[in-house]
Amino acid sequence: MPTEAIDPPGISWLRVSPRYLTARLLGWGAEAVLVTAALATPLALVLAGTWRWPPLWFAVALPSAYLLLALWRLVLIPRQVRAVGYAERLDDLLIRRGILFQRTLVVPYGRMQYVDIAAGPLERALGLCTLKLHTASAGTSAVIPGLPASEGARLREQLTARGEARLAGL
Amino acid sequence: MNGETGNWQRVHPASPFVRGWLALAALFFFFGRDAAERLLRGGPVFDERFAGRAPWLLLGGGTMLLLVVAGFVLSWYFTRYQVAGGFVRVTTGVLVKQHRQARLDRVQAIDVVQPLLARIFGLAELRFEVADAGQSAVHLAYLRVAEARRLRAEILDAAVRDAPAHAAAGPSARGPEAQRPGVQLDAQFAAGPAGSAAPAAPADPTERPVLAVPPRRLAGSLLLSEQAVVLLLGAAASVLLSALTENRSFSFYLVPAGLGILAGFWASFSKGYNFTAATSPAGIRLQYGLLDTLAQTLPPGRIQALRISQPPLWRPLGWYRIQVNVAGYGTPGQDGERSARTTLLPVGTLQDVTALLDLVLPEAAAAQPGATKPGATNTGSPDANAVLIAGLGGLAPAARIQAQRDTRHTTGNDDGGFTTTPRRARLLAPLGWRRNGFAETGSALLIRTGRWWRHLTVVPHGRTQSIALHQGPVARRFGVVDLVLHTTSGPVAPRVIQAGLAEGRALLLAQAARLSPKTQPAGNPAGDPQEGPQHG
Repeated sequence: MPTEAIDPPGISWLRVSPRYLTARLLGWGAEAVLVTAALATPLALVLAGTWRWPPLWFAVALPSAYLLLALWRLVLIPRQVRAVGYAERLDDLLIRRGILFQRTLVVPYGRMQYVDIAAGPLERALGLCTLKLHTASAGTSAVIPGLPASEGARLREQLTARGEARLAGL
Repeated sequence: MNGETGNWQRVHPASPFVRGWLALAALFFFFGRDAAERLLRGGPVFDERFAGRAPWLLLGGGTMLLLVVAGFVLSWYFTRYQVAGGFVRVTTGVLVKQHRQARLDRVQAIDVVQPLLARIFGLAELRFEVADAGQSAVHLAYLRVAEARRLRAEILDAAVRDAPAHAAAGPSARGPEAQRPGVQLDAQFAAGPAGSAAPAAPADPTERPVLAVPPRRLAGSLLLSEQAVVLLLGAAASVLLSALTENRSFSFYLVPAGLGILAGFWASFSKGYNFTAATSPAGIRLQYGLLDTLAQTLPPGRIQALRISQPPLWRPLGWYRIQVNVAGYGTPGQDGERSARTTLLPVGTLQDVTALLDLVLPEAAAAQPGATKPGATNTGSPDANAVLIAGLGGLAPAARIQAQRDTRHTTGNDDGGFTTTPRRARLLAPLGWRRNGFAETGSALLIRTGRWWRHLTVVPHGRTQSIALHQGPVARRFGVVDLVLHTTSGPVAPRVIQAGLAEGRALLLAQAARLSPKTQPAGNPAGDPQEGPQHG
């Protein structure tokens, strides 16, 4: 089924860095290896003969089921990364994400309380950062992941300047 | 203590004992129980065995009492406050000093709270809320009632005086009645029409009563609430089960459940008892409480979102409940007092609802829906009522008219301007699709939901923090989206459910445009082009 984007037409979205895909894939790989290893422990013990209880089919099915799910998520990751986008308009910032579960968020510059930039070790190695906007509402979860560090800094300065110019307060 | 000018003051000397009465009572209970038991058994208060231990007991008890009292007195001595220069400052702490100051013009609400014991002593606690969604920024416990009222008036005067430069004055600034001579000390606050019910004269001469909730109506509203229905159903079920199985044990389960619900009833009743709303130049004033009384003052423009609800059993009686989001009050949760504080009206008639709406969001309902409605050149109040009535109880016309409605839904129809879920998505909400909808007015977005549990949510444009469109796979099949408005935390979570995709997109863009001041950034804080013509 071709999916129709819910965001309003006529907006030129800026996409996040392609290196963010690398970060997501690395994260996925680490998680998949760890969880598969943990789930495969009963299988190894049953095969070695130390454990008798879990029947062989169950010991096989457990890691396989997880692997199938993980592979399904792996297929989705590139689509998800491509679906993340943001657009700076004159008076507000738009952030979209998701294909199956879509969300388009509008934050007026005047409503911003502060801007966070965070970078974990993996993101830092890839030269990426995550930008987060805070408003007076806890429901606003305005996060742009996978920005190049320079773009993140530019966006932060830009947002702060525009926010000051349009400050609405509470 | 530091270089601040102005006089620092202490709270009332009795306040540590009023706050710590529980500790004192426990102490007396602990040492008095022994003697009382002996007295009850008929023995002498002081027998020989006791006489030997008496000095030690007295010494121990006296030391503990002295320590507790000394702690109280020290904490009282080191708690000082000052209201000067646009700030309220409080210093507390004996070993770890805390100095807190809050700007007066950032006040979101001021409450004067009187627990039962404080009421007996003529004392009151003053709570000062700023927009941090947590606990009160500043609370002074306890002051004499007169002093608390004087301080509240002083703070509110300063806040209202400073407000015009600040965007917080918001959309409720100018009303037609502001020019009327009389009770208004300040044109900041547009007082609404007085309700038909006239409560007792308020303590503050600048207050004007708007409405009062009679105790009988409050009791009735509790009897017809959801909990009462659950209680009755549970009782019926357990009686039935007992009769069928000839087993008495079911009634045992009923007793604690019933007691819990009764306790809930009592809490609601004592919180909502004697509820009155009044206007004053400084804002809306709500007072309520049977044993513990609370007087809230909300300066104009502090209400972030508002919801009018009607449970199904209230419908024949035409009763409504209003809850609000106020920055600083936070989410109610299980806390009974907080849920009382976020209630603007525990139970009221349509007349009460309109009176309160006129007060807190004077322009929310006063502008016509849509942009191009003909015949709105007069005062606009009939239209306002039409929107409100449609929002509270309206339904979109059924199938046949719907088709023709879709083609001209912006040019006016008989549903008060509400745009509802498209017919193609009626399987998603077989009952609610004609009810769930939204309407735009000049200064607020009205969202109505629920066919049985009716809700009407009003969010002023100037108070919306951000907007989001959501769509999941099922909603995509039916071509509908949800639109979520983010406001400060509170009991109201505004969400337009299952609007058509095109309508949702259009609404997102329209709301985004309304949120951002298009003209001068500082000139027109509400940022709404329709606001001028409405009241100019």
